[in-house]
Amino acid sequence: MKRFAHLNARTLDEAVLYLRRYGGRAKIIAGGTDVLGRMKDEIVPTYPEALINIKTIPGLDFIEEREGSLKIGALTKLEDIARHPVIKAKFSALAEAARRTASPHIREMGTIAGNICQDIRCWYYRAPNNRFPCLRKGGGRCYAIEGDNRYHSIFGASVDGGCLAVHPSDIAPALIALDAKIRTSERKIKAEHFFEVGVCKTNVLEEDEIVTEIEISQPPVGSKSAFIKFAARETIDFPVVNCAATIVGSEGTVQAARICLNAVYLKPYRVTSAEQAIIGKTISDNSVEDAGIEAVRQAKPLARNTYMVQIARTLVKRAVLACG
Amino acid sequence: MRKLINVTINGVEYELGVKPNLTLLDLLRYEVGLTGTKKGCETGECGACTVILDGKPVTSCLVLAVQANGKKILTIEGLEKDGNLHPIQQAFVDKGAIQCGFCTSGMILSAKHLLEQNPSPSEAEIRKSISGNLCRCTGYQKIVQAIISVPGRTEK
Repeated sequence: MKRFAHLNARTLDEAVLYLRRYGGRAKIIAGGTDVLGRMKDEIVPTYPEALINIKTIPGLDFIEEREGSLKIGALTKLEDIARHPVIKAKFSALAEAARRTASPHIREMGTIAGNICQDIRCWYYRAPNNRFPCLRKGGGRCYAIEGDNRYHSIFGASVDGGCLAVHPSDIAPALIALDAKIRTSERKIKAEHFFEVGVCKTNVLEEDEIVTEIEISQPPVGSKSAFIKFAARETIDFPVVNCAATIVGSEGTVQAARICLNAVYLKPYRVTSAEQAIIGKTISDNSVEDAGIEAVRQAKPLARNTYMVQIARTLVKRAVLACG
Repeated sequence: MRKLINVTINGVEYELGVKPNLTLLDLLRYEVGLTGTKKGCETGECGACTVILDGKPVTSCLVLAVQANGKKILTIEGLEKDGNLHPIQQAFVDKGAIQCGFCTSGMILSAKHLLEQNPSPSEAEIRKSISGNLCRCTGYQKIVQAIISVPGRTEK
């Protein structure tokens, strides 16, 4: 890694102050599992001058239920989320998403906020030493259009109509399906509005803004959630496609549904058409089949990723069935 | 600019001046000279650099040395006692669970963490606990058998 300064922030205000002082030339570090990989490979066009360590800020590592909500501190490790009895029982999509992320070691290091703030894994973007100056780096084109796009978007492109990278998080679709809110040093944002695509950007955070807490309201009576991931390997692997669903049912009929796919588009992809297809029906092989078909109706697969459409369709079906 | 850190490595206290861009892995191997911790992928995928940091298994290639300040680190060199191998190390030898040896220290430390948390794990739990450690000789079967065979499975 190239040289950089390392600053331990003792309070949130101090961390924000450091970020302002460096004006975009500093990065936050917590678990470090994503940011250090990027710095080692030197994939960032402007190498950070400083890393601001927020692990030294007390009071950001907690899981608690209060005021009718589940609150999870930004620094909470994924392994702690995966093992937490309340999350497993009441917010199972989130517990399962955490359990299926990376490897046991990475889950002991990586935090929930770091997971939703992680950068894309497109192999052109991540190629060491900025070998491919792609759109997401402010360059001229997306190399996945003509290149190997087997793990790229099946729902079209963005960033000047070009970038085809997908969002790699397992946690993100679970938070969207559970209608979580993300509290930052500035504001509270609904999880589904948190993700945004831009040059070197995967979320709406300002340069001096830090995620502090995830908040999820108690699930309504009769609701269930599930998360399903398809990856080439059982462990240490990013999703080929994943899907989280929350279904609220009453007397066997679906009253409300939230279904979100990820790794299929530049940001987590909520499939409202699939939700509509299941509302008012009972969960059965036929009704989930319709939801699966609706979920991928708008799919525009590339030369090498048509197979992902089938997987996305099947995961939507299975996620809804798992909520039955 | 170097930063002064205090770390306890295998029970020995060190006061070291480290650069911010030094990883814990490089600190252990090149500054302290403990080369039992292996340098594999350097991106947290292979687990060869596993160490126990304050009781948790981590990939030391993704930990900055400055962030280990004030922490306790256990490496493979810290397992033997009075010239005798740790029971997990002995089990690996007895079961032939070592081929090229590159993954061994990480595998043993992951297994140690598991057996401390859960003295009688099932085979599935063993496989899950070492799922962050890759063996490119593909000798997983004997590694799992070795962990199963650890006498009493643990010393707490």
